[in-house]
Amino acid sequence: MANVSESAQGDVAHDGHDDHAHGHPDFLQHHFDTPAQQFDASKLGMWVFIATEILMFGGLFCAYAIWRGLEPEVFDQAHHFLNKILGATNTVVLLFSSLTAALAVRSAQVGKRNATSMYLIITILCACVFLVVKYFEYSHKFHLGLLPGHCFGHPGLSASIQNGEEVGTCIRSVQGNASSVMPQWVKAVDESGNVQLLPPRANMFFGLYFVMTGLHGLHVLVGMSILTWVLIKNMRGDFSARYFTWVDLGALYWHLVDLVWIYLFPLLYLVGKPE
Amino acid sequence: MATNHPHASRADDGDVHVHIASTQFYWAIFGALILLTLLTVRVSYYDFGSANIIIALVVATVKASLVAAFFMHLRHDKLFNTLAFLSAFLFLAIFILLTYDDLGVRGQRRPSYTSMVDPRTGEPAPGGEPATSATSNDVQGEAPKEGSGAEKKKE
Amino acid sequence: MAAIDIPLVGGHADEAHGDPHANYLKAKRGIGSWMLTVDHKRIGLMYLTMVCIAFLVGGVFALLVRLELFTRGKTIVDGETYNRFFTLHGAVMVFLFIIPSVPAALGNFFLPIMIGAKDVAFPRINLLSFYIYLLGLAVILLSLVLGAVDTGWTFYTPYSVQTANSVLSMTMGVFILGFSSILTGLNFLVTVHTMRAPGVTWQRMPLFVWGMYATALIQVLATPVLAITLLLLFSERLFGIGIFDPKLGGDPVLFQHFFWFYSHPAVYIMIVPGMAINSELIATFSRRAIFGQFAIAMSSVALAILGFLVWGHHLFVAGMSEFATMVFSALTFLVAIPSGVKVFNWTATIYKGSILWASPMLYAMAFIFLFTIGGLTGLFLGTLSVDVHLTDTYFVVAHFHYVMMGGTVIAFLGGLLYWWPKMTGKMHDEKKAKIAFWFVFVGFNTVFIPQFIMGSRGMPRRYYDYLPQFEPFHKASTIGSWILAVGLFLTAYTLLEALWSGKNAPRNPWGSAGYEWMTDTPPCLANFHSTPIFTRGPYDYHLATPEELATGFDPVEDAPAAKQVAKADAKK
Repeated sequence: MANVSESAQGDVAHDGHDDHAHGHPDFLQHHFDTPAQQFDASKLGMWVFIATEILMFGGLFCAYAIWRGLEPEVFDQAHHFLNKILGATNTVVLLFSSLTAALAVRSAQVGKRNATSMYLIITILCACVFLVVKYFEYSHKFHLGLLPGHCFGHPGLSASIQNGEEVGTCIRSVQGNASSVMPQWVKAVDESGNVQLLPPRANMFFGLYFVMTGLHGLHVLVGMSILTWVLIKNMRGDFSARYFTWVDLGALYWHLVDLVWIYLFPLLYLVGKPE
Repeated sequence: MATNHPHASRADDGDVHVHIASTQFYWAIFGALILLTLLTVRVSYYDFGSANIIIALVVATVKASLVAAFFMHLRHDKLFNTLAFLSAFLFLAIFILLTYDDLGVRGQRRPSYTSMVDPRTGEPAPGGEPATSATSNDVQGEAPKEGSGAEKKKE
Repeated sequence: MAAIDIPLVGGHADEAHGDPHANYLKAKRGIGSWMLTVDHKRIGLMYLTMVCIAFLVGGVFALLVRLELFTRGKTIVDGETYNRFFTLHGAVMVFLFIIPSVPAALGNFFLPIMIGAKDVAFPRINLLSFYIYLLGLAVILLSLVLGAVDTGWTFYTPYSVQTANSVLSMTMGVFILGFSSILTGLNFLVTVHTMRAPGVTWQRMPLFVWGMYATALIQVLATPVLAITLLLLFSERLFGIGIFDPKLGGDPVLFQHFFWFYSHPAVYIMIVPGMAINSELIATFSRRAIFGQFAIAMSSVALAILGFLVWGHHLFVAGMSEFATMVFSALTFLVAIPSGVKVFNWTATIYKGSILWASPMLYAMAFIFLFTIGGLTGLFLGTLSVDVHLTDTYFVVAHFHYVMMGGTVIAFLGGLLYWWPKMTGKMHDEKKAKIAFWFVFVGFNTVFIPQFIMGSRGMPRRYYDYLPQFEPFHKASTIGSWILAVGLFLTAYTLLEALWSGKNAPRNPWGSAGYEWMTDTPPCLANFHSTPIFTRGPYDYHLATPEELATGFDPVEDAPAAKQVAKADAKK
């Protein structure tokens, strides 16, 4: 009881530097004993969260694995309709943003506030580039009618066929009920300008493509928001060489986003029969 | 006092101590990642059959390991963080494998069940499946012969 | 003996957080101090209130289901409405009550205390998880208003994709609740790894904490797959992705794989905490060190891990490949082993122990009996050839009610009665609690034993109407539900009555050696007045001092528990 007085003062200095006069820094929360304990706990918490995200995306990878095993020809043919170059560009952009995120953490670890801000800004800009490229990819698909589920075979598909070529039956063209007929072979123009045949059930590939990249894109948006918030906090001076936890955690989330893409890119864009 | 705590940091002062890599090191890792990306894209233009997907996954795993070990600092972090990360993949593997051992072998019959004959009477076992059966892959959709693979330009 | 001489350090113990030495219920006042609290004890109480309300709602649906089944044909409602009743009973009970019940209510309250910490690792995330729970609850209520779901709580495709009923809002509610569960699990994992007080080694850690740790492992690893399952269901409904639709190349059984990959580990989220409470009750009320303490701890973790390998046993007749059914059946037998370890160890603890027959002990004993029945009947269901006959019958219904209700709910009630004095500072009336127990026990068995019999004779589950030969069983079961309801209401009354007219509870009314009994009753805001160092295990009755074990009751007063404890001490 007699030793309570030390912690009860709680004089706060809001510049993020520790308060030696009172023996504990103001970034240390009341239920932790030391900054090391707090840091270890925060990191472990983030890694457990990352594990949950891996399992969530993993469910989609499971669906991919099952369908790929059962319908290899769908995957072999349909992936030509994804643009490898844009996909590779996005991969490079995300890898670069991962680098800058790691450098941001490093700058925070050595207490260089301005460098941290700079690297965070570059990371966020890379994320924007990623989303812009994604937008172009998606809009091209919508134009071609390569949409998920019910929407597959949008009338735009027939517009892309050369004169006189017969178009296969699209789902939509059958009376009303969108899911009453399995799609037949359909002709469409792929990313290289060739007329390709889409096998039946190619809608499955595009369904998976949109759900997987869509969920990933959502995580890119969330990652951008987190990094923006960390940037704001950094510019306010909340971080130092003693306390940079949030920069670290924000960067970890960003690396997770990159990790998912590292697997998404080859599995969706690259694997299949080359032309 | 910090020494008594089960979670004790490496130093006794309770402060945070981390391994700080050099900027050049991070750029070097980035360089390796770019090289691996170029490799995997290049490989995708050749047909190695079923090895394609294995190569793609191996390269992806190497890239992911580099990101996790160095960009995410797992290499110099507490071991349990790595365990948490890897256990997610372990359980994912269990999920995929055991689900695949259903969906991947659906419709396949063990020969002993379909061709069982009672040794005393020579009668086939009751309740078996008829001899001819369709598997789940057997649906309409053979590729029309014309136009498949034609009109292709080498990229 | 716990030496309590290290000064409290760390953080700001100022008016924003309240005086760390004040009783946590009184440290700060006003509704705002509860709505914005980051104190794990207050959050635990708020969760407790909400799960009890959820239990009431789910229970009302259960009573309605049983009332409808009292006679053949229509009794009170038509078939469509009946389908909604049993769906809601299942969904509310599973997602709103049983999964959060022990971890979020009792776990939140006691886990930090039992490891000598001041709070969980992330108190604000703890509060966030509570608000996410409330949001999920609101969305599920919305689904009720929008027409309610009749798919069964399992949402199997293709019906759940095609039906016009409010599947989206119900599954959205469940999706949101999943995040609450994940955040609770994450918090507990990190707390146990990084915030144990000096002397709380992994070997010494109380078994309740081990149970919460194993549960947290499952919550963190399994719930994300539920999230993706529901996301795929949304995509299927909204966009017709086709992953579960055979006409588009999909497979409805894939939904079942995805769903049960979460939902089987989820049943371990339900039972492992119940077993964890039971370990505490058995040790305290036998007044002995628990037999095979580390084995019980490891069996909790083993259940958590093995529980991930057996989900296919819910799909035996769904059209799975033969090979998969055999693999899953074999693994299902394996998962029975850790439960067996616990039951044997509890029995060995009770043997030659000094038994105190307080109401929590009645529940603990009932747990062993009822859980064993539930677990053994699970083995029948895990046997492929037998399962062909028993699947989707009332046998399955009785099996899982024996483990979930006869297991978890019984342990939950026992834990509530055990820890009520510590949480509230008031002693409840033991006599009423014991009478209520007998109503619960008799009522429960009356509901579900007829269901085992019916099920083995072919009565299918989820059926609105049935053949005449099952009518006596249904009638018995319904009457049992009324007896059970009386017992549960009486228990609730006993606990609530204690709040306004119970005597003030002493620090350690049951004479337990557990760590949580060393704090004040009710605990102070920071749990301990200074960081404790624990020099003995929580079940080391031979090392505990008489002061630590003193119940604080005046033997002259009307407190049967104290008399028995005094007698037991006199024997030593």
